[in-house]
Amino acid sequence: MKKIRNSLTAVLFLLVCFLPVFLSDPALAAAIPESRQKPLVVDEAELLTPQEEESLLARLEEISERQKCDVALVTVNSLDGKTIRNFADDFFDYNGYGWGSADDGLILVVDMKTRQWWISTHAYAITAFTDAGIDYIGDKISGSLSSGNYANAFFKYASLCDDFLTEARKGTPYDTGHLPKEKPGVLMLLLALGIGGVAGLIVVTVMRSQLKNVKPQESAQNYMTREGLRLSEERDLFMYSKTHRTARPKDTGGSSSSSSGSSTHTSSSGRSHGGGGGRF
Amino acid sequence: MAQLQEYKCPACGGALEFNAGIQKVKCPYCDTEYEMETLEKLDEQLKQEAEQKDDLKWENKPGSEWQENEKENMVMYSCESCGGQIVCDRETAATTCPYCDNPVVMVGNFKGNLRPDYVIPFQLDKKAAKEKFWSYLKDKRLLPKVFKTETHIDEIKGVYVPFWLFDADVNAHMRYKATRVETWSDSDYNYTKTNYYSIIRRGTVGFERVPVDGSSKMPDDLMESLEPFDFSQAVDFQTAYLAGYLADKYDVSEEQSENRANARIRNSTESVFRSTVNGYATVTQESSSIRFSNGNASYALFPVWLLNTTWRGTRYTFAMNGQTGKFVGNLPTDWGAYWRWLLSIAGGVGAAIYAVMWLWALL
Repeated sequence: MKKIRNSLTAVLFLLVCFLPVFLSDPALAAAIPESRQKPLVVDEAELLTPQEEESLLARLEEISERQKCDVALVTVNSLDGKTIRNFADDFFDYNGYGWGSADDGLILVVDMKTRQWWISTHAYAITAFTDAGIDYIGDKISGSLSSGNYANAFFKYASLCDDFLTEARKGTPYDTGHLPKEKPGVLMLLLALGIGGVAGLIVVTVMRSQLKNVKPQESAQNYMTREGLRLSEERDLFMYSKTHRTARPKDTGGSSSSSSGSSTHTSSSGRSHGGGGGRF
Repeated sequence: MAQLQEYKCPACGGALEFNAGIQKVKCPYCDTEYEMETLEKLDEQLKQEAEQKDDLKWENKPGSEWQENEKENMVMYSCESCGGQIVCDRETAATTCPYCDNPVVMVGNFKGNLRPDYVIPFQLDKKAAKEKFWSYLKDKRLLPKVFKTETHIDEIKGVYVPFWLFDADVNAHMRYKATRVETWSDSDYNYTKTNYYSIIRRGTVGFERVPVDGSSKMPDDLMESLEPFDFSQAVDFQTAYLAGYLADKYDVSEEQSENRANARIRNSTESVFRSTVNGYATVTQESSSIRFSNGNASYALFPVWLLNTTWRGTRYTFAMNGQTGKFVGNLPTDWGAYWRWLLSIAGGVGAAIYAVMWLWALL
C-alpha cells in the first residue's frame, strides 16, 4: 500500500512540477515534439519504389537544409476521419516537422482514398507559399498525380518548392500577378515560326511587287479640268430612322478582383497554418 | 380627303399607308414611319431619274486629211512576223519591228489614214532611256541575275504611239442612301438609332484629253501605266517630228476606243461625286445618271521608248514615257531567290521571336 502511495505522490509531485508548462500552453503543447519524428517523405500509400523514395528524400533533405525550411510530403490511404486540411496540419504539428525554432516548413498530403491533395504551410512557409502560389503548384502536379506519375509529381513539387523559397528569400514571394513565368514550348516555337513565315511572306511579296508595275488606270482623275466639280444641286434628305435596343448585361455586383497573399487558420494544436488543396 | 397616291416604302419596298392616328405615313410591313413631305420629295427624285438615261455620246470627229506632200516623205514598213505596220520618214531606215524584234520590210509609200492633230515630241533621248532602264533594274532582289546581261538594251526604239484623246463635260445626277448611327443607353438598355438619308448630288465635271491607246500592238495596260503625259508640251502635228523615230498608225478606231474612255470617266465622276458626301457612317450609291456634253475626240502621237526582250521563251516588253522618263514593264521572278529570301526571313524572324520568348521567361 505504501508503495502505491509513494508512486501516487511521485506522480502528483511531477504533475505539480510540470503544471506551469501545461498552463502556459494549454492546448496539448507537450504533444508537439521538439525535433522531427518522421522523415521528410512518408509513403504510407506505397506510391514510390524504394529507389524513387530514396532519391526524393535526398532531394527534399538537400532543399530543406539549403533553404532552412522543411519541405515534406506524405501519402496516405486514410485521413483517420479528419478533413484533409486538419490531417495535414496535425501531421505537420504532432510529428514535429519544421525547421528551426519557428518550425518553418510545409507538407504535401496526398490521400489516395478521396484522391485529394493538400499543402499545409507553417511559419515562414506561409509567407513563401501564398494561396495563389499553392494553386499554381497544385496545377503543375495534379496532372501527374491523376495519371499515376507520382514520382514525377513529387519531384516537380520539390523543385517548385525550391523555386518558391528562393523567390521568397529575395523578398518577392510568388503571388497573384507574380507567378513563375512559363517556359516557351513547342507550341510557342511553332507560333514564332508562323510569325516569321508571315513576315517573310510580306517581305518577298513586296519584293515581287517591285517587279510588276504594269497596271491599268481605272480613273481619269488626272484629266479633270481645273474647275473640277461644279455642283448644281446638293440635298441631304432625312427619310426615316430605326431604333434597336439590346438589354444591358446586368452587373452582378461581385467584384472579381483577385486576392493575393496567404490566408491562415488555426489548427488543433493552436498554431497558425496556411494552405490549400484540390482533387486529382 | 384627296386620293392618296401609292408610295413604296424606301426601307422595304412595301406599299405605304397613311396612319390617321399618328398623322404620318407608316409602312404596314416594317413599321417605319415617314413624314408626308419626305415621301413627296423622294417620289419627285425617282420620277426625274426615270426620265434620265446615261448618254455617253461623242460628237466631233478627230483627225484631219493628210496633205499630199506630207505623205511623199513617209514610207511604211510591215513586220512579217507579227503583222505590225510602222511609219517613218524616208531618211529613217527601220530594220526591226519595235513590237516583236523581228525584221521588217518596206511595203511602199505611206497611204490612207487620218493625220494626227497633235504630237508630243520626244524630250528624252536614247541615252536617257538606257539609263532609266538600268536604274529600273537596280535594287530588284528577286530579278534573275542573268536577265541584265542577256538584255539587248541597244535595241531600244523610239516610237510615236497613236492615242485618241477624249474631252467631255459630264453632267451627272447621283443618288445615295446614307446612314448615321447614334447610340445611347439607359440603365436597362443600349440603344442604336440608325437614321436613313437620301442624298442627291447633281453637277458638272469636265475632263480633258483622256488618252486611249489607238494601237492594237501596244498592250493597253502598258500604255496606261505610262501615264500621265503632259499635254502642255504638245504641238500641232508636223511630219518633221517623225525624223529619226518610228511611228505607229492607229488600227483601233476612235469608236472602239470610246468605251475605255467612258469607263474611266465614269469611274472618276462617281468617285468625285462620292467625295462630296461626307459625315455619314455608310454611303451606298443607289442610282447614277451620267451624260456627256461637248464630247470631243482628237488624234495625237505620244513619245514612247520601247524595248522587247525574250528571256527563257517569254517576251518582256518595257516602255518608257519619252516625255517624263517614267519606266514601266514587268520583270521575271527568280523563284530560287524568292524561296531563299522567304525561308531565311521566316527562320531568322522565327528564331529571334523564340529567343525573346525564352529571354522573357528567364528574366
